[in-house]
Amino acid sequence: MKPRVIESDICIIGSGISAAMAAERLAAHGKQSIVVVEAGDEAPPLGQRYPLRQRYLDYGESPWPRDHLEDQTATGPLQSRSMQVGGLAMHWGGVTPRFSPEDFHVKSLYGVGDDWPISYEELDPFYQEAEERLGVAGEQGPPALDPRGKPFPMPALPLTYNLDLLKGWSDKAGIPFWSQPSAKNSVAYHGRSACCRSDTCFPICPVGAKYSPDVTWNALLAAGRIRLIARTLARRLVPAESGDRIEYAIANTPDRPNEPVHFRAKTFVLAGGYVWSAHLLLLSRSARYPSGIANRSELVGAYLAGHRNVGAFVKLPMKLYPGMNEQHSLVTKRFMRPGPLDKYVRHDLRIWESANGRGARLRDDAGTLMLGDEILDDWRARTATGTARIRAYYDVLPARTSALTLDPTRTNRWGDPLPTITFRDSDDSISLRAHTESEIKRVFADLARAGDGQLVGVRVDNFQDHPSGGCRMGADPESSVVDRTGRAHDHENLFIIGSPTHVTGGCANATLTFCALALMSAAEIQRAV
Amino acid sequence: MSRINSGMSRRSFIGWIATAVPATRVLHAALPSSVELDHQTLVALATALLPTELGRAGLERTAREFASWVRGYRPDAELLHSYGDPVIRRAGESPAARWSLQLAELRRDHFAQRPLAERRAIAREQLANDKLDRMPSIASARHVAAGLLAFFYDSPAATDLCYRARIARNACRPLGTSARKPLPLADDA
Repeated sequence: MKPRVIESDICIIGSGISAAMAAERLAAHGKQSIVVVEAGDEAPPLGQRYPLRQRYLDYGESPWPRDHLEDQTATGPLQSRSMQVGGLAMHWGGVTPRFSPEDFHVKSLYGVGDDWPISYEELDPFYQEAEERLGVAGEQGPPALDPRGKPFPMPALPLTYNLDLLKGWSDKAGIPFWSQPSAKNSVAYHGRSACCRSDTCFPICPVGAKYSPDVTWNALLAAGRIRLIARTLARRLVPAESGDRIEYAIANTPDRPNEPVHFRAKTFVLAGGYVWSAHLLLLSRSARYPSGIANRSELVGAYLAGHRNVGAFVKLPMKLYPGMNEQHSLVTKRFMRPGPLDKYVRHDLRIWESANGRGARLRDDAGTLMLGDEILDDWRARTATGTARIRAYYDVLPARTSALTLDPTRTNRWGDPLPTITFRDSDDSISLRAHTESEIKRVFADLARAGDGQLVGVRVDNFQDHPSGGCRMGADPESSVVDRTGRAHDHENLFIIGSPTHVTGGCANATLTFCALALMSAAEIQRAV
Repeated sequence: MSRINSGMSRRSFIGWIATAVPATRVLHAALPSSVELDHQTLVALATALLPTELGRAGLERTAREFASWVRGYRPDAELLHSYGDPVIRRAGESPAARWSLQLAELRRDHFAQRPLAERRAIAREQLANDKLDRMPSIASARHVAAGLLAFFYDSPAATDLCYRARIARNACRPLGTSARKPLPLADDA
């Protein structure tokens, strides 16, 4: 069947948070026509989120119905099935720390991993821009630990009664903690209301105080600056017959399965996150590009990165009232900026209120079944003191074989091979792992001791959080997929933005860095057009 | 009442969901249950199971809210998957029919007319039969007694009662007020 053709100056594939940031900047600073292509469905509008949240609270139901495609998934530790307008950031926690300057130069500073081709200082204005576009409420930490060019756009979320008590404890340990920056409004901001601490930031904010990308898409649609086409899966990028420019993207929609859609554009922006970006590039193989698009280096899909976490609880001799706002935390960057080291170890550190181990129970310590007042009396006795949750993310330096590959044995409805993802530590990371985790546990123990607390439930999770990579940036086309701006080395009009371009995973929540990188890419796209 | 318990990280919640709800996909329509629970027996059960501090009004209210929760249960509804867990799970079969039969059986045995000590003994026996070693998730409770217990103790109201303070888990509030110590419950003020 003859394809339907949709033309634009800029075609953005994916509609998650990186896409939203880039589109907003491009729309504000240029007159180019922008088409956004999203495989998933529209997300429920803000007006429906209160009842959806209530169903989640009452029954554990998904507050984001129809947010995935049944036959579009991956084998391996996939972060989320979510594919919808707004992407995973429709249900993110809204936590927005920056990386620290060291994250970009671990090879130069510590002799491990790889350096990024950009510095923190170069990214600082884009971090700032991302914070302003998202609306980040933050507290300036000690400048030596928390460098930034300008103040946060909003005052910090105030500490809850519980967090304030916990800060008193952490002060005794001599570790400077402060309020975790968050994309949640501490005051009304850009037409959105202030946070009401209903404590369901993840998975759904009922009032729109937490930034989610639909905010940006709605504004751009209302202004007539973009055309957003949902339920349309981009399946191939097709280069021009001569030269390396990408000419069009082939997509299909389940609504009209036999009618392909060709998206023709002068510039293509691939914003499909760490899985679907590399997946689309690998799917786009042809006789001229047998390894796929943008893959002369054979590194598309390689170097998937992330951070691993060590978590624990600390029983403390203080009365806490858990349930006030368990999603907000204290944070320190002290261990992200350790100065010279004999042996590399860097991590963040956060503290939350917690009710862990202090819920009502049916049996007492002797195993006797309790009823009525016995349960309540037992519960009260066990909540006379409090518990804190602590957690450190440490960066896992990725191996080249930490990778996304195509699995020809599993296909979607269109017959496209689906991805398999595997995370692997580099040799550096393997040799450092025991030392890193031991150092973090030592910090935990020191922290517990400072509050006369008891460290319990120490555990290391095996998954890697905030996954990234797969199209790593670099100056050398032999060892990277894109340049410092996200432009593919092999195709001048193809940009890959956000999480896939990471060189390493850093040791803090990475979404703000995805956004800053996307804005840096958008600035280059503007310059180029 | 909101059912999602405090003290759970994002990932531990996902884990809880995974164990709390049978993965079996129910093939019939995902409609709320039309089965009604016997209110009088349910209140009698609440009296045997729940703290006396709730008082008659609190016990009645809990029984009504529990029945409402059961009515609103949607078999086969898609459960939260999101971050960290790509597996799509669905709600299991409604417990309404099972619990309704159990309440009818208790009614036949004149449960509501029995002395409190006897009711507690019966409830204790039911829970012991279920070999429960911890509070179950509500829908997975085999016996209505365990479901009612789980329902109450998972609620923000139970947390407030335990702490004798208005923590008001999952309630919206002005941002600044969360910096203050939660107010004592009205009865304790």
